[in-house]
Amino acid sequence: MKTSTLSLPAQRSGSQILIEALVRNGVKQIFGYPGGTIMPVYDALVGSGLKHYLCRHEQGAALAADAYGRVTRRAGVCIGTSGPGATNLVTGIANAFMDSVPMVIITGQVPSALQGTDAFQEVDIFGITLPIVKHSYIIRDIADIPQIVNEAFQLAQGGRPGPVLIDLPKDVSAGMGRVAYSAPLSQPKIQQPDQRSLRLAAEMLTRSRRPLVIAGGGIAISDSVEVFRRFIDRTGVPVTATLKGLGVMRTEDPGYLGMLGMHGNGAANHAVQNCDLLMVVGARFDDRATGLLAQFAPSARIIHVDIDAAEISKLRKADLAIVSELAPALDGIRTVAKTNPGWSAQCTGWKKEFSWRYDAPVKGIYAPRLLRDLSRARPEGMTITCDVGQHQMWVAQHCSFNDPLEHLSSGGLGTMGYGLPAAIGAKVARPEHTVVCVSGDGSIMMNIQELATLKRYSIDVKILLLDNSALGLVRQWQEIFFDGNYSEVHLDDNPDFAGVARAFGIQGRSIREPEEVSDAIDWLLNSDGAALLHVSIDSMENVWPLVPPGKPNHKMMRSSPARKRSES
Amino acid sequence: MNYTLNLKLSAGEGTVIRALGLIERRGFRLDSCSVSEVDAGSRCMQVKVTSSRPGDLLKRQLERLHDVYHVELRPVSPGKSQPTGLHPISRRI
Repeated sequence: MKTSTLSLPAQRSGSQILIEALVRNGVKQIFGYPGGTIMPVYDALVGSGLKHYLCRHEQGAALAADAYGRVTRRAGVCIGTSGPGATNLVTGIANAFMDSVPMVIITGQVPSALQGTDAFQEVDIFGITLPIVKHSYIIRDIADIPQIVNEAFQLAQGGRPGPVLIDLPKDVSAGMGRVAYSAPLSQPKIQQPDQRSLRLAAEMLTRSRRPLVIAGGGIAISDSVEVFRRFIDRTGVPVTATLKGLGVMRTEDPGYLGMLGMHGNGAANHAVQNCDLLMVVGARFDDRATGLLAQFAPSARIIHVDIDAAEISKLRKADLAIVSELAPALDGIRTVAKTNPGWSAQCTGWKKEFSWRYDAPVKGIYAPRLLRDLSRARPEGMTITCDVGQHQMWVAQHCSFNDPLEHLSSGGLGTMGYGLPAAIGAKVARPEHTVVCVSGDGSIMMNIQELATLKRYSIDVKILLLDNSALGLVRQWQEIFFDGNYSEVHLDDNPDFAGVARAFGIQGRSIREPEEVSDAIDWLLNSDGAALLHVSIDSMENVWPLVPPGKPNHKMMRSSPARKRSES
Repeated sequence: MNYTLNLKLSAGEGTVIRALGLIERRGFRLDSCSVSEVDAGSRCMQVKVTSSRPGDLLKRQLERLHDVYHVELRPVSPGKSQPTGLHPISRRI
């Protein structure tokens, strides 16, 4: 590039340079909350063209950026001030780390000269977040800003994605300098599979009598859904999915057995326990998926396909590891024969045996049936975001998905409070989608302040709140594993949630009778703008099946052993 | 099992503590550590660790770090297993 004294960059503040570097990296929308040390950046935001969404808590901003990153596959950006602003971001950063979500986090920091003096709102956010970031930076020199921002985006989005933190001391953000920009970095060449491994995988699949594939979240992350479906069409191997792999196969696909694991479908769990070859694609043998690891898929050889070499044989030894981008690996495995029809028929038999039933006698509204009805009523292009608890598992079991990005759930970290901010991030990223946040009465209170964000920006998010007046999943575990000794799980003094929504300027409606469900779903999906449907359900309803901790996946409980109905 | 790790790292801020933090967090006891400067941009670090977990997994976890350039792993006294007080990897529920 030719330079001359005439083209010397203009004198600009560190914050202006930062904002321009974000724009040059394709950022259009960011989520954040201002405060003392980040004020120079907020000053530079005005008139920058970047759209900033003021969330009402930094955790909301980080979780919104997480969902934005999931659905766009580009780093979601969140921003906060030093001290409490930064620590409030931490849960969102950990959430993105555990679920491999691309995210760039910018935190204000006290001026360099004050760092290490316990200055007002000083906290070592770089140190605090070391174990939960893919990488992190403290910017010491204005001249480094463009390069560090470029690297941060490249790292956050490349390979196995993750959060990258940039800590920005106030003297750097407020300082002035003449700094040249460098072009954003392209991703390094994608990691190609080893040809010999692909041939071995084809051989193993061809020889196997009872092969099975686990579809993981990595397939959505790497945008390999179509390649994966082609692979399954070619081979005819039955498929199960992890929580984050839901939607990789269409829920209605005949060869798809449902989710495996603790609250998985019996068909999936029986297939895993009986298969002789298990091909795990973009998944990491999480304990909620495997049950008792030592007895997981006991007679299976393992093919593990993942981009991250550090996941290979971390928990279960892989007989064959293919460390690669998923698409070229899946395309490169050329099998000759289709799966043994006897095994396929056995899987179909399990699928029939363990298909969900909706006719159990229940008091009031049965949440699984309501979620199935919601799923059936959905318009084209609907994203469901979840909080964490019983409702999250019911969504995973009873809603249908055509694409993994239609289901956003906090998988690894299990963050109560994810659902509402995630819905905000998902709607901002894809305004053409209908976005429904399915939440519980425990979870919604973790980030209920974000109702104000919906109102402020007229973000059309539909909230389906399943209220069992309890911390339901904890209550269920206390019932089953702690002898019905209920400890701090009853929430029978919940507020009037529809009234709370209305106080924030959001439409709210409450139902409690089964005959109201159909009309209420219609109201929720077709209401003009954001709306909250509050659904009262039986506080003693449980999620079934359940693989007890320390048990293998085929030892599923289907009901409470000796039910203690201690409620009034 | 005891291992010696020789790492080449960036000389950037936080690099050493990031690598050491990972080693402990992933279930390896730090027995000794020495860091020295290679040049203006890099350092080398020798770490001796003990764990019941496989050393090659730790090597791959360290290689994942952006500011770790190279990791060499050497098992020390193979076959001699010592109780470490750390949870075995399959115990997490």
